[in-house]
Amino acid sequence: MNKSIKHTAFYATLKRELTRMVSRRLYFGVCIVLPLFCIVFMSTIFGTGGMENIPIGIVDLDQTATSREITRTLGTVSTCDVQELFSDAKAAREAVLKREIYAYVVIPNNFESDLIGGRNASIPYYIHYALLSVGIEVEAALETVFAEIALAPVVAYGSVFGTETSEIESFLLPVNFEAHPLFNASLDYSTYLTNPFFFVLFQVLILLTTSYVIGSEIKFKTWQSWLDAANGNIFIAVAAKLLPYTIIYIIMGIFGNFVIFDLLHIPMNTGFLSINTATILFVIASQALAVFVFSLFPALSIMISILSMMGSLGATLGGVTFPMPYMHPSIDYLSHLFPIRHFVNVIQNILYGDYGFPYVWEDTVILIVFLIPALLILPHLKRAILSRKYEDIE
Amino acid sequence: MKTLNNRNNYLKIIADYIAREFKTIGTSYSILLVMIGGVFVYGLLYNYMYQPNLIRKAPVVVADLSQSSLSREYVRLLSASSQVEVYSHANNILEAKELMKTREVVGIVYIPRDFERRVGRGDQSVFLAMVNTSAFLNFAAIQEATSGAMVELDGRHRSDMITFLPLPTLYAMSQAQPINVVGTALFNHTEGYGSYLIPVVLILIIFQTLMMVIGMISGGERYKKTILYYKKNGLGFGNMMAIVLSKTFVYSVLYAIFAYFLIGLLPQIFSIPNIGDTMDIITLLIPFFMASCFFGFTCSLVYADSESPILMIAFFSVGLVFLSGISYPLELIPWYWKVFHYIIPAPPAVLGYVKVNSMGASIADIKTEYITLWIQCLVYFLTACFVYRYNIKKESAAIKEAANF
Repeated sequence: MNKSIKHTAFYATLKRELTRMVSRRLYFGVCIVLPLFCIVFMSTIFGTGGMENIPIGIVDLDQTATSREITRTLGTVSTCDVQELFSDAKAAREAVLKREIYAYVVIPNNFESDLIGGRNASIPYYIHYALLSVGIEVEAALETVFAEIALAPVVAYGSVFGTETSEIESFLLPVNFEAHPLFNASLDYSTYLTNPFFFVLFQVLILLTTSYVIGSEIKFKTWQSWLDAANGNIFIAVAAKLLPYTIIYIIMGIFGNFVIFDLLHIPMNTGFLSINTATILFVIASQALAVFVFSLFPALSIMISILSMMGSLGATLGGVTFPMPYMHPSIDYLSHLFPIRHFVNVIQNILYGDYGFPYVWEDTVILIVFLIPALLILPHLKRAILSRKYEDIE
Repeated sequence: MKTLNNRNNYLKIIADYIAREFKTIGTSYSILLVMIGGVFVYGLLYNYMYQPNLIRKAPVVVADLSQSSLSREYVRLLSASSQVEVYSHANNILEAKELMKTREVVGIVYIPRDFERRVGRGDQSVFLAMVNTSAFLNFAAIQEATSGAMVELDGRHRSDMITFLPLPTLYAMSQAQPINVVGTALFNHTEGYGSYLIPVVLILIIFQTLMMVIGMISGGERYKKTILYYKKNGLGFGNMMAIVLSKTFVYSVLYAIFAYFLIGLLPQIFSIPNIGDTMDIITLLIPFFMASCFFGFTCSLVYADSESPILMIAFFSVGLVFLSGISYPLELIPWYWKVFHYIIPAPPAVLGYVKVNSMGASIADIKTEYITLWIQCLVYFLTACFVYRYNIKKESAAIKEAANF
């Protein structure tokens, strides 16, 4: 008997929530439009994903065969695109300021004659590091090509007497290295950021929507009918209320994974099963976090501002761009309070190496553990609602 | 006389609106929270978070199969670099991989068995640096450290290799000189992540908190129907202008203080690049700020209560970083997103601010962004007035309908 009452209470609350969901355009926006926007935005913003044809400039003050050869060699680098030839360094620097080019190479006056005469010929180049991510890419590309150019005269002189180029190279560089970026060999930005940042955006949305749907009952004073429908049981009330959103967000998350990995062909080393399981846990953990934080002080207008700030922090605390271990320890510890941190750990592990569950079980368990504080605080939430203290706080 | 009266009257209306707006802001906890929390806490927190600025001591494991004096010399050089820290030594690649799987290290330096032998017989020796790409900065740091140590090792052992080359070749090579190549990092000489990202964040904090405050106020006005207060002076364009201008004035006064803190003070405290001319920065901020206010009023078309705007606004924070063209070059962004770069006030302002503040550009160098912002000002001012008129009409119609019902 008791069980069937619980069932009816659950269904009544669920039904009530579904009616609420179709009553306002807002819910359509946060459940359908914004998640889809998330998917479209993150999967298209990086264009092709690779940093290619970044405009650079050359200041050729020498105007000789050698300097033109260097210009041509630089033109072969796929990362850069020699877009402009400047007549003096000042013009090039101004172009950098206007962000027309991201780097420029100066071939100084008398370069060729200095080179032949052995008078310390040098080539300075300048890279725009106010835009760091582009700067890193351009610098890596220029360094590689200049390593060849720098030694070219020595190799050319040495090979006059018939010595193999490779022998000369092993004299010049007895030890050489190969850098292997694992799992993302072309350092593609889509592979790197699309998936984690989709979930960063998604977490903002889940945190805010969850607190809004609960908080709006308090703020618009409809909580009486809400609790009545759930027969006064706050666990049923919250669970039935959030269930539709959980399902929608899980579907959206899985759809996002499908778009990213299947349609965009971003490589993944694992099957959809594990990535989607992680997505499900992530959605639930984010909702749990929102319920917990909101219940601490259930005044909608205040908590939603706080949650919006927490959500945006996810971009940093996910540890995707600037790795967490290098930040202050306090920030590193703080980041563990965010589901996105654990989720990123899990997905990077299974996407990149598919190392398997033994290497991600801690983070997986923590994602589930997020539920515990949320459940424990629910009685407090009920007391707070019944006290009616939080209704009119703005 | 009549014009004078009119003008006095108009100023009175504006003064009334301004007083009202200050009261709305001052009596709402949540608005104060967004302003104070967003501006001061967020501003300080972000600076604190990115204070380390650089990757230092990225943990790598060395799988040294060579176990020779040359390989040990290399490892010593590697651990002397500031970017990486030799976390552990592995006997084989599997052990090294295991450490990477457990995320204890982010890179593996693999030194093959014949490392020293190859140098000893005049061949080139190659070692591998394998780096997890879960963060690109790790890759850059480890690449820098391994290649730096390599260059030093090469310099030390080049003379050993002389024996392998015929004398004429050596003689010819001694006549040649390598070209000196000198790279310089402009505008951010430490190549720090914080000094690159923080200026972006500062502008976005201003924009996002302002959008939220406007959203909360105008959403609240509509929900509580207090928007009808403005109806008493009619629905003429003059009154709409008075509403928009007086609100903008109030936000400007408050944000002048906030901007002083965020853009004036914080860069000094946390040593973020600030080589820009103060007057140029202010010149840029004026159209940015006005355009943002007008843009916010225009968006209030869709806000129906004071909390729902936050749902939408907070969501876009991260996207604005990408749209600004700071983290990913604007040239590589597809054209349809580039359009948004010009529609929303924050991205051009971020770009302009980074140019002036971090690169020392003048107003002439940021003319694209500057003109974009003024055009936005103009367009959004008109739309803001129309939206206010529309909202007032809509709410009064709703009230009439309720009364008839």
